[in-house]
Amino acid sequence: MNKLFKNNSEVNKFSPVKLSSHHFLAIEDMQKSEIQKLLDRADYFANLDKHADTKYLSGYVVLNVFFENSTRTRVSFELAARRLGAEVINISLINSSIKKGESLLDTASTLNAMKPDLLIVRHPHSGAPLLFAEYLSCSIINAGDGRHEHPTQALLDALTIKRRIGYLEGLKISICGDISNSRVARSNIHLLTTMGAEVRCIAPSTLMPSSLEKLGVKCFNNMKEGIKDADVVMLLRLQNERMSGTENPSEREYFNFFGLDETKLSLANPNAVIMHPGPMNRGVEIASALADDTNRSLIKTQVEMGVAVRMSIIEALNHSKNKT
Amino acid sequence: MTHIIFKSIKLINPATNFNQKVNVVIQNETIISISKDLNLEKFNKDNQTIIYDCEGLTMSPGIFDMRVNIGKTENLKFTQITAAESGITSMAILPNQTPKLNNPSIIDHIKRQSEDINLPKVMVYGAATKDLKGLEISEIGLMSEMGAIGFTNGNKSIKNSLVMRRLMSYATMIHRPIIQHAEDEDLSGLNQASTTSIRGEMNEGEISTRLGLIGIPACAEVIIIERDIRLAKLTGAHYHVAHVSTRDAVNVIREAKKSGLNITCDTAPPYFSLNESKLLTYNTAFKLSPPLRSEDDRLAIIEGIQDGTIDAIASDHRARSKDTKAQPFSAASVGASGIETLFSVTLDLVHKKIIDINKAISFLTINPAKIFGIDTPSLEEEKVANFIVFDENEPHIIKKENLKTSPTPFDRKKIHSKILATFINGQAAFINQIFKNKIIK
Repeated sequence: MNKLFKNNSEVNKFSPVKLSSHHFLAIEDMQKSEIQKLLDRADYFANLDKHADTKYLSGYVVLNVFFENSTRTRVSFELAARRLGAEVINISLINSSIKKGESLLDTASTLNAMKPDLLIVRHPHSGAPLLFAEYLSCSIINAGDGRHEHPTQALLDALTIKRRIGYLEGLKISICGDISNSRVARSNIHLLTTMGAEVRCIAPSTLMPSSLEKLGVKCFNNMKEGIKDADVVMLLRLQNERMSGTENPSEREYFNFFGLDETKLSLANPNAVIMHPGPMNRGVEIASALADDTNRSLIKTQVEMGVAVRMSIIEALNHSKNKT
Repeated sequence: MTHIIFKSIKLINPATNFNQKVNVVIQNETIISISKDLNLEKFNKDNQTIIYDCEGLTMSPGIFDMRVNIGKTENLKFTQITAAESGITSMAILPNQTPKLNNPSIIDHIKRQSEDINLPKVMVYGAATKDLKGLEISEIGLMSEMGAIGFTNGNKSIKNSLVMRRLMSYATMIHRPIIQHAEDEDLSGLNQASTTSIRGEMNEGEISTRLGLIGIPACAEVIIIERDIRLAKLTGAHYHVAHVSTRDAVNVIREAKKSGLNITCDTAPPYFSLNESKLLTYNTAFKLSPPLRSEDDRLAIIEGIQDGTIDAIASDHRARSKDTKAQPFSAASVGASGIETLFSVTLDLVHKKIIDINKAISFLTINPAKIFGIDTPSLEEEKVANFIVFDENEPHIIKKENLKTSPTPFDRKKIHSKILATFINGQAAFINQIFKNKIIK
């Protein structure tokens, strides 16, 4: 697989990546070269046997702090940290101190006082991890903040595409669904456009954020137009918890116009692959049979790549902090 | 007999269109002499006379800040003292405080409580609707008799068209303006209180999309103004739009004024000096209502100031505690401090050659007074000595750590003028050390 890689991958993949920051907050802040190196390193991890000795971070303490529900991201981060030999503590704060009235910064600085090396934060408010990074001394990874970014998801999506197709540059990638409320969409837009892909965004006009084209993408309200010749079709979950009830008439109507089915997919590149960050609403964003079509759906590979990508990031943050 | 003499001071008095270097003499609370030639000898004999050498300094009427929120972080006295230090000699406070200013006795109470010969005069807006809920009109006649200068729902829009029509109609009988915070709160998501996740947080556009914050479209402002203008036409009311922030709003108000309607408006320093790009780091000091708008909107506010569509500049002071601002942007409180930066940021328009100094001073003094039909402040002989002394050429940098109220959206802004003294009723409500050193006798 490695022979398909460009850009010094042979050099990058055997050593930890050094980043310009000891936080990992947003793809929008990142250089192409940093993204490339992280992908190369993650690819290396993905190729290793899961029992291979990668315990480079023994004694490194990771707090997995989730202010929002999550299963796959939390487990993926935990596995990644454990495979690196780090100690991981999971903290769910959805119903805890926040409800008792403690302020977010008090909670954060209490955790910081226990001297973790890394805080992995998911929070329902855009920009919250940035606030943590401003006030706390440990490294912060953004595991998804409100509608802003989900940078590790974008990296794992990119790795999934690279391992299947071999490259990102010049690919036609259609992102379809609730763009407005999606942090996955924003991170993917930044990453894929930075890496030279042609990104199209497809959404009903009520779920298309203002001035999105200024992020360097083409916008479509008609899925059949947006999906034409696409190499990758990336679907997004309808984020009902972030909606007001005025965005979309019904799930049935949504599936009719924006759900991926065989008819719409037939307009894409015949070899097009299907991706979804999960969790999926079958029969809403995607026809159930397509989700399970192992020839075209990369949904399970995405989950698998999540661990490798997060290993490369955690390792890189440790490396970047030590060297500064 | 104590005389205070301001020797060789540039006196700017917009009410008489006066801008000359003169000597000003005050005695007790009155200006007794404004003259080019000053016979110092007769004062030299008097031991109690104080003479300030005011070469290079400027005097103007004190500021009338027509929009001040007294929040939970402050009490009225503290705000008055801070205002005096900022060149403000009178101010109007909004009804949305605790307790709400929604009945005649509380209006009277606030006026009495704030009465202090040596502090800025406090004027009061009454709650336009009962309990500020927007459903029934409150006792605006009785509150008016107690001295309420106008009626508003404060930082909430009066949404119901029938309520607004009745309010305007009733207000014509008592000759008081209705002041509107113009925002279609359904459109901006603020009316759906139960689901906080869809509340508008900033101006809608590319930056809100990048930040993943919920946008408030610019038209949320003009939609309400357009409706209200029609109701003002129907009722003949004096309608005042507070803190105008968008190009469309300026355009619509300009046209309405041309058609002869009794419509006025103000803006605040953030809307002519800052734009939405300030939010790119999620800095909650810039979380304001109305939100900071686009650069094009900012330029339109400046045009409105230049051509007089905008009548006045107010601080829109809404200080907040550090705790409610040290939050993720979505959870942070709305508003910023303003009284301490109102003067210098407004005079920045003069430094940038956008308006001349006479006009800048007018926006802060006689223009707001005219809106309410109250005595226009004027520095003439026999008039009360309510004025400020400032240096137009004292470059310095606003530093948040040096301010008494927070947060400021103007941290690290370079400005060029500085208040040196505030005199209220002939007494120094504030004198800084630089000015103290100007005493020559």
